[in-house]
Amino acid sequence: MSAPASPADAGHHEPSKFHFYIAIAMILAVITGIEVVLVYLPIAKWIVVTVLCLLSAVKFMFVIFFFMHLRWDKVFCTILFFIGLILAGGTMWALLHLFGAQASKPLSAAAVEVPAAHLATA
Amino acid sequence: MSSHAATIDHHHDSTTSTGIPNKKLLWWAFLASDCMFFGTLISTHLVYRMNPPPGNAVPTQIFNIELTSFSTFILLMSSLLMALAVNAIQRGNVKSTRTMLLGTMFFGCIFLGGQVYEFTHFVVVKKMTLSNSIFGSTFYTLTGTHGTHVAIGVLLLGMMYVRTFKPAAGGGLMLNFLHLLAVAVAAGVAFIWFVPGMIEVVYGASLGELFSHHAKPFLVGAAACAALFWFARNSSPVEFGEKNAIDVEAIGLYWHFVDIVWIIIFTAVYLLEYL
Repeated sequence: MSAPASPADAGHHEPSKFHFYIAIAMILAVITGIEVVLVYLPIAKWIVVTVLCLLSAVKFMFVIFFFMHLRWDKVFCTILFFIGLILAGGTMWALLHLFGAQASKPLSAAAVEVPAAHLATA
Repeated sequence: MSSHAATIDHHHDSTTSTGIPNKKLLWWAFLASDCMFFGTLISTHLVYRMNPPPGNAVPTQIFNIELTSFSTFILLMSSLLMALAVNAIQRGNVKSTRTMLLGTMFFGCIFLGGQVYEFTHFVVVKKMTLSNSIFGSTFYTLTGTHGTHVAIGVLLLGMMYVRTFKPAAGGGLMLNFLHLLAVAVAAGVAFIWFVPGMIEVVYGASLGELFSHHAKPFLVGAAACAALFWFARNSSPVEFGEKNAIDVEAIGLYWHFVDIVWIIIFTAVYLLEYL
């Protein structure tokens, strides 16, 4: 027989993560602020790009693992999502390399670059 | 059956052979496929940015990084409210869930309003349209697709919000429909007219002029907000409760996903241009 909900059952609720979520959101906001300030600092470009990519990855991971509960869910959800993510990353990598090749550049862009290259060698 | 077994345990709601509820599995599979969708759009934009044709638009002369940073912050905070909505319903607190869902929708509308202002400004003032430069084509396609995702998210959140009022006694379908209509109208007026108008006011436009120019949509929006207050007064028992935590969590997954996509877009499309 099913028993009516008793006060003891209240303890069976999910534990509140209120303060934890607030802390995560504050970290994300601070990282965003750092990103915006970083692009104006006189630092080597490759360092800024690397740090921006790293900070974005950190924000991405914070959101998927904490806000989207991947940390507490079954590992299958993580695998499923990362299959899509890896395929997307692979597609991006392939596209950027394919279209980064000289033969794949848009004709108008190539037309500007080729005479410039000729001038440089002349 | 013991009293413990009668309570809901979300983490052991094994409705599939994987032990993961169907709804959650469906959303994760969809989000994984959406990653590929956005992956191709972002790469297309980057490919053309690395090989810009002559006469292409200069992004740093067009972008307003302060506004975009603010939009990013707003979207991150909307994710926080969404997480709190899921947290509230998992603890059976329907009232708090409603507040957090409304807050998430409101922040979503601010983000969309920022995008409406941005697009209008780019087209009217900066003269960058969808078809007059490669940069315009890829930029509007990418950010527009993301904005459409956010708009769909606001609608889904609205549907979830209205669902929290479904009477336990059954019926009330027409009332729920009208409630959803009021949510949609209020959100639409907010992000198409109100938020872009307020941003213009921040940049120096007159508040009186704004209200006189858009008097009709603002009146309709005010009527929709009044209707929302009237619907929210309903205190009769509702069907919605802790057992629906998985539904709120599923919508939350989608909302957080649009947030993570924006995290990538903000860095790849906006910030890298300033180097």
